[in-house]
Amino acid sequence: MTTNKQKVRRSDEPIWWALFSGGGVCFAVFVPAAIFFLALALPLGWVELDHTQALRAFGSMFAVVFAGAVIALPAFHAAHRIRHTLYDLKFAQRGLIKWGCYGLAAAASVYALGAWLLQLVS
Amino acid sequence: MKTMEVKVQRYLPEQHSEPQVECFSVPYDDSTSVLDALNYIKEEQDSSLSYRWSCRMAICGSCGFMINGEPKLGCKVFLRDYAAAGTVLIEPLAHFPVERDLIVDLEQFMQHLDAIQPYIIKDSANGVTEMMPHRQTPAQMDKYQQFAACINCGLCYSACPQFGLNPEFIGPGALALAHRYNLDSRDEGQAERMPLISADEGAWSCTFVGYCSDVCPQQVDPAAAVNQAKVLSAQDMVMQLFRRNK
Amino acid sequence: MSYKPVLGRTWWLKNPAFKAYMLREATVLPLTFFILCMLAGIYSLLRGEASWLNWVAVMGNPLVLALNALALLASLYHAATFFVLFPRVMPIRLGDKKVPDNLIVAGQWAGVAGVFVLASWIFWGVL
Repeated sequence: MTTNKQKVRRSDEPIWWALFSGGGVCFAVFVPAAIFFLALALPLGWVELDHTQALRAFGSMFAVVFAGAVIALPAFHAAHRIRHTLYDLKFAQRGLIKWGCYGLAAAASVYALGAWLLQLVS
Repeated sequence: MKTMEVKVQRYLPEQHSEPQVECFSVPYDDSTSVLDALNYIKEEQDSSLSYRWSCRMAICGSCGFMINGEPKLGCKVFLRDYAAAGTVLIEPLAHFPVERDLIVDLEQFMQHLDAIQPYIIKDSANGVTEMMPHRQTPAQMDKYQQFAACINCGLCYSACPQFGLNPEFIGPGALALAHRYNLDSRDEGQAERMPLISADEGAWSCTFVGYCSDVCPQQVDPAAAVNQAKVLSAQDMVMQLFRRNK
Repeated sequence: MSYKPVLGRTWWLKNPAFKAYMLREATVLPLTFFILCMLAGIYSLLRGEASWLNWVAVMGNPLVLALNALALLASLYHAATFFVLFPRVMPIRLGDKKVPDNLIVAGQWAGVAGVFVLASWIFWGVL
């Protein structure tokens, strides 16, 4: 015997959760090294990276890992966590929060990936 | 004999407009459980005290309370563990309406359990008519065994802040039970359960706080079940795209 | 007449498990700062050498360094909590047996170490 078959709407959450999970892996596996080398070692002079080297590296095929795994996916991971934590803190503007968070992550991703593509082809 | 200050939240709707804490002095030894303390208070000091209990051996799931702010079974917690502080606070299970003293209204919990169809669903035409016994290997049983250990005590609902914030969330217990059936080789009902699991108030309300699994007296690990259900739900969403495009 | 308690905004302060949860979620705040630094870096890179050198100098500001050091700690705390959740979300079975959780966790940390080795090779030419 089956219970009442009222139509329950499917959540779109799997999309955001997939991005969050991918971003979570990147945040855990790629970001630590990225922070260490680009945000600590480079300014402190422990690594050498002049403008020409940086431009060439950023325009390489491999820099997609940087744009995607250090910026884009972690941005969606951060957006998802910030969104749900704001819900946890009982902020009621759920729609605004959702699209605001993912919108900013999308903007960051488009910028990083777009800049990489431009350098790749120039 | 040692005595402990046992504070109990009281709520008698005909007398109080809101709950209040009452203090009792309870003699105890190393074997006195919180449930024993409540029975002592009711028998010797205040017969109006109301609370649920039955087996007193952590298998019926009746005696769930908040003990010093943590959801626990009264029969499984001992006063000796609170000897250092000399006092213990007993409140009704969190996130449920309080009916009287330590008795909560578990109707929402029961409805969620029922909604996910917690029974073997078999659509095969020959399943029932042939009356053949289901066969299951130990390996097949091992896949869902852990999730079948649930005693419906409700502690995980008191632990879950998402349920606390939104009682429409079907919750860790119901989702663990749904997953238990989805993993059972005898069951064919995953597709029928999927719409509820895939809804906003299904598995997707969970943010993996994980406290539900910490408090479960049976080590069911409902958090694992809910998040494994998220994977199944995501796979179902992808497969539905291909089904529609056929 | 039942009494219906309402969860307040500070529910998470009431319990160590909830505070640990909020700390875990908060690791994305330093991450957001680091991402903004990287976006600024891309912008400065594309604007030319002077602006690139300026960006490197600003990244050397003590406050910026401190925040990014915090981001590094946050990423490692995130990794620690994320890696133990993974085998619970996707238990891996080889045939009849379940792969032990600590093996899966160790494997993920090996990945982190591997990326450090790769980055060392890229930046320092050492393997």
